[in-house]
Amino acid sequence: MQTIRVGQLVPGMILAQDVLIPRTGVTLLPMNTVLTMEMIRRINSFSIDEVYIKVPERSDKEKNEEILAPVMAETHEKSVAAVERVITNFRKDSFTQEAIDGLVGDLLEQVEMDADLLLNLTHMKSYDNYLFSHAVNVSIISILIGEQLGYEKEELNQLGVAALLHDIGMLKISVETWRKTGTLTPTEYQEVRKHPEYGAELLAGNMSSEIQAVAAQHHERYDGSGYPRGLKGSQINYKARIVALADVYEACISDRPYRERLTPQEAIKLIVANQEGFDPQILKVFLLTMAIYPIGTFVRLNTGEIGKVIRVSKNQPFRPILSLYFDRQGELLGQPIRLDLSEDVNHLLYIEETLSASEHKKLSERVATAFSNRPWG
Amino acid sequence: MLKAEFINPFIGAAYDIIKRVTEIEATKGELSLANSPVRGDEVNVVIGVTGDLKGQIIFCLSEATALVFASRMLMNLTTETFNELAKSAICEMANMILGRAVTSLSERGYFCTLTPPALLLGKNVVVSTQVLKFLVIPLETKYGPITINAALQEKQA
Repeated sequence: MQTIRVGQLVPGMILAQDVLIPRTGVTLLPMNTVLTMEMIRRINSFSIDEVYIKVPERSDKEKNEEILAPVMAETHEKSVAAVERVITNFRKDSFTQEAIDGLVGDLLEQVEMDADLLLNLTHMKSYDNYLFSHAVNVSIISILIGEQLGYEKEELNQLGVAALLHDIGMLKISVETWRKTGTLTPTEYQEVRKHPEYGAELLAGNMSSEIQAVAAQHHERYDGSGYPRGLKGSQINYKARIVALADVYEACISDRPYRERLTPQEAIKLIVANQEGFDPQILKVFLLTMAIYPIGTFVRLNTGEIGKVIRVSKNQPFRPILSLYFDRQGELLGQPIRLDLSEDVNHLLYIEETLSASEHKKLSERVATAFSNRPWG
Repeated sequence: MLKAEFINPFIGAAYDIIKRVTEIEATKGELSLANSPVRGDEVNVVIGVTGDLKGQIIFCLSEATALVFASRMLMNLTTETFNELAKSAICEMANMILGRAVTSLSERGYFCTLTPPALLLGKNVVVSTQVLKFLVIPLETKYGPITINAALQEKQA
């Protein structure tokens, strides 16, 4: 049992004691009542300050997530570090196929364990090693798309490796150029646009032709507007088409030197607005996986609480699972509350709005500091 | 019969939500009164109301209109058929309209609660409501009409 200020009550909480109307002793709501928004308003209208609620029992699902989350977060970190090592070794020509396969094997295992959890982690970024975390995240997203397209383990592995190495050509671009905060000069810009060719060169002889193709073609666009060769439609390697989409999405939701990150929803809107550049079948599958409120989106409920989407439901894209962090007044909650909008009892709650990109950034930071021991983020 | 102060929250909520989730403008047609049962359209969403107001609200629209609305809600991922995704979009829209209306009503001191939306398909659907007379609120949009049938009465004191 715990005391909670009325301002922090969230629908679904259960009263541990009768709530009495002040100065009358009349029971307003009995013990064990599951609170609805209407009831919370009524309690408020009597100027009651605090009530006793039952400490919610965590479902088995939640308990599993609690165990799994730190493990996966650690693996994500290790993967990024491993990619850094592998790619640095690549430069020194002491590159091993096993190292990469091992890495992708780990990622595949993680996807199998809990894809949503992994997708949540792609939103935790470190700017310093952007290139490496970008590689890992694009690999994760590509694997998820490949899974939805029906790929078997072997193919997923190929896809994962190809996605991990898609930007390897950047090793040949000077560090100053790709870290630049301002606009690139025409020369610098031309140089960066060569990274697909550089990538294919670096991988030639070491990796399969498909992996080389993905590195070479991940900036080609389905309608022929891409580079370096302006390939069109089926001329583009299929896996390259997948990685192209994953690459764009991941880049959109990341802070870059020249612009702030977009929210997952804005990234999707941008992609949909430019859909001619992508394979329509792959795009459709991607959008259905991401859903209307993609994982990582910060939203405000109609009742005022603010939380983040941590799982989507394919059948009910409007009713994802949220982790609530802020109450109606914008105060941080004592601890995050898991809210499954698809549960019948929550049907009166809905997502009122998605927060802006700058709010996303601010709130992610606040949440990360406050709940640093919970890698759901 | 229902007082205007009860009806306006529903109409206001409908405009707001439709505008917000589909970016479509709705305008109110002429209200009329009809006798139960409510004769549906191809797509019908029924939501029960209890509390200070009791009865049912039934949203009726054609499948073509529903498809346009659903597509808009699903970020223009056009659904050619009225599939599960489109159905969930329409139910969600109806749920949000009523959720917003209930909030407005509670601000005026009337507390109601709603049942989860039930989707009924088929032009021959006929809904017999507990409340014998219902208000027909037609909303006109560029993509076809949506009719809100409100069979509600105040709880007898």
